Amino acid sequence: MKKLILLLLIITANYHNSIAQQYFTKNGLISFFSSAMLEDIRADNNQVISVINLTTGDIQFSLLNNAFHFKKALMEEHFNDDYIESAKYPKSTFKGTITNLATITPARDGTYNATVTGDLTIHGVTKNVTVSGKITLRSGQVSVNAVFKVKPRDYNINIPATVKNNIAEQIDLTVNCNYEKRN
Amino acid sequence: MNKKIKKIIIAATVLIAIAAIVLYVVWNKPHRNVQSADAAKITATELYRVFITDSAKARNLYVNKVVEVSGEITQLSLNQQSQQVILIKTAIPGAAVNCTMEEKAGDIKAGDLISIKGICSGYISGDADMGLPGDVFLIRGYHKK
Repeated sequence: MKKLILLLLIITANYHNSIAQQYFTKNGLISFFSSAMLEDIRADNNQVISVINLTTGDIQFSLLNNAFHFKKALMEEHFNDDYIESAKYPKSTFKGTITNLATITPARDGTYNATVTGDLTIHGVTKNVTVSGKITLRSGQVSVNAVFKVKPRDYNINIPATVKNNIAEQIDLTVNCNYEKRN
Repeated sequence: MNKKIKKIIIAATVLIAIAAIVLYVVWNKPHRNVQSADAAKITATELYRVFITDSAKARNLYVNKVVEVSGEITQLSLNQQSQQVILIKTAIPGAAVNCTMEEKAGDIKAGDLISIKGICSGYISGDADMGLPGDVFLIRGYHKK
């Protein structure tokens, strides 16, 4: 009897594993781009941890602000010290859910439009945002792509008037993550 | 009189030129030289342990500092920008010191012992629901031979 229960437990545990559509990456890419009169600024962060669950629709991202890499060292310094204040606010995070999960069929390959709603935390300020993006499923691999705009002012990031020609009022954020299955 | 004006114009031009050069140098100052910087030497297992047991201490000692981390390679891959990513083993299965390389390290494979010098950006926790442990991250890594 004990053996039978154990066997049943093992079977149900494995069954649960095989239906849970959980994916993760620890080297996702999030970039930002600011286009202003005097200059364009671009920075990339290749160390984004993200998890996505296609059974529940949960999706999360977190990154370390000091891992954004800029072409110019001075820009990187200003970003960390004056704007994002990475010593005080080391992380930026997003925690949300896919609101149109019903239209995504995990078993069928393809590119699906996805709408995600959740809490974006930057510089210690949390805002509810809705973002449209694409989820691509291809032979067991998942990737997520999205571009959306963020206003630094909404997150209490003050850009002094003296540099307003150098930094855009709206920053483009690009998400580009390739996931692997979590077994 | 004319001579005086000439002198003033020359002085002003020289000053402006110096200011422009200074601005240009500051504006284009190079990134931190990781390869020549002094680095604390630590094993991946120990670095990871400090981050998960005493995050305040870890932040003080390692975040934004150049460190030289050693251990066994568990995985090699390329990120979306074709930079090499090397995972170094820790005591916790699935948890690594996750190094993004500035220069591709050739002739290495999983299982090899390696030392990587880079800037430690910190620790990000994983996902408890998924049982996914977090990683400690290194950026601008160089293979130390």
